[in-house]
Amino acid sequence: MAEVDPDLNTGLQLLADQRRARLIRTTKIGTVWIILIVLLIMVLLLTNVEPAYMADHYGIVLQGLMTTIEISLISIVIASFLALFGALGRLSQNSIAQGISGFYVSILRGTPLLIQIYIIYLGLPQIGVAIIKLGYPTIGNLFILDAVPSGILALSLNYGAYMTEIFRAGLQAVGHGQREAAEALGMTRWQTLRRIILPQAIRIIIPDIGNQFIAMQKDSALVSIMGVWEITYLANRFARHDIKFMEMFLVAAAMYWFLTIVSSWLQNWLERRMAHAYER
Amino acid sequence: MLMNAEPIIRVDNLHKWFGLLHVLRGISLTVAPREVVVMIGRSGTGKSTLLRCLNFLEQPSSGSIALDELTVTVGPHLRPEPQQIFAIRLRTGMVFQEFNLFPHMTAMQNVIEGLVTVKKMPREQAIPIGEKFLDKVGLLEKRDVHPIRLSGGQKQRVAIARALAMEPKVMLFDEPTSALDPELIGEVLDVMKDLAREGTTMVVVSHEMGFASEVADRVIFMDAGEFVEQGPPHQIFSNPSDPRTKQFLERVL
Repeated sequence: MAEVDPDLNTGLQLLADQRRARLIRTTKIGTVWIILIVLLIMVLLLTNVEPAYMADHYGIVLQGLMTTIEISLISIVIASFLALFGALGRLSQNSIAQGISGFYVSILRGTPLLIQIYIIYLGLPQIGVAIIKLGYPTIGNLFILDAVPSGILALSLNYGAYMTEIFRAGLQAVGHGQREAAEALGMTRWQTLRRIILPQAIRIIIPDIGNQFIAMQKDSALVSIMGVWEITYLANRFARHDIKFMEMFLVAAAMYWFLTIVSSWLQNWLERRMAHAYER
Repeated sequence: MLMNAEPIIRVDNLHKWFGLLHVLRGISLTVAPREVVVMIGRSGTGKSTLLRCLNFLEQPSSGSIALDELTVTVGPHLRPEPQQIFAIRLRTGMVFQEFNLFPHMTAMQNVIEGLVTVKKMPREQAIPIGEKFLDKVGLLEKRDVHPIRLSGGQKQRVAIARALAMEPKVMLFDEPTSALDPELIGEVLDVMKDLAREGTTMVVVSHEMGFASEVADRVIFMDAGEFVEQGPPHQIFSNPSDPRTKQFLERVL
């Protein structure tokens, strides 16, 4: 006890003050959120929204939640692979690879997702039928897709194009010295990419993939136009049937919001893990 | 004694252009086995470029580089084959100014990465070799530590072990101590001195004149893409013949 720094108490006091100030601010922000939610509910009750109807029917919409999550998860995985190849193409010295990836990104970023869904779901079968008529039914049938695969294909292609830029930036963010060190050891381009560049780039890219995943969960609502039984389709169907638009779409909105909040938590957790990687 | 041996490196009339900049102007250089060559000179005179041409991290514009029994000739319409470059890189170990350790791998993983990925050696077989070279640079106890937990000097020593583990014929050092805090330079130079004493063939670009005069068999003063003067360190440092060498040494010594 003899060696205690007399200034230590001042330090501890300052630390405690900082911590208290932070707690007060968090409490204030939380209070604002609660007030806003209460206000929202009051407005809704005044405009004769029926909570009872919502309570009775939210289960139906909930059945669509799994479909929404499924479609988004599968699509983000496929989109990530497309983006990786897209980025490698853009960074490649090869003109064919560069041309293909540039073309892909340009078309899919330059057209609305909704149109892409229509083309894949309603347009491609036209090509399929033509091919079948030519006498190649197996190939032709590949162009005739059900609603869910169509939606996954459209979301994957569309997000793959946007994420190509993210992957390109991530790959470029790994220092040039890393590539040189790998090459000096005698590694091929492919070995350098797989062993040295990608493992580092992934850690840079992961937070952005998280953002894209959150955006995609909401864009997946567009597949409802093909009659896929996901959140938006189910909400819409009952809303029209019972003329309860506000009720059902509020339920759907709440579900997307909930999904987004959970995804953000996951993303923050992942990001924190990535930030503390290699600290051993 | 050194000069009589069959040279291990023979560079002939090497030119390098960066756009319109003529960085290497017809360099010719032979290095004997076990020889330690230190290149000195102002920055931007092509020392590092020459070193980086030796293992084709930089593509020479023209000239030829022979290493061991391999000869690679480069010209306007003559690109080296990837296999030739690969063969040269297997015979050279490179140490960078900025260490360039792989941050996602532990010290041990860094050292055995080349053995496992390039030489396809089974991991169990590579680890004893990794231990041997980490021990050689005095960092065996850091084997499971990631580079972020190492000091600059320790990073550079791991980087040296990484290059040595491939058992190259020649070690290339590109300003290995220039990015280090002054108090960390000594530990890296000590490792390099040990290597020189053991007879490692070394080509070093350095601003450490003390190291050069103590360890080098030959010092080369380079200016504007050319060799101005070369010879044993005592001759270059105490009795330089060219006025440019004199001027440079007056400024750094």
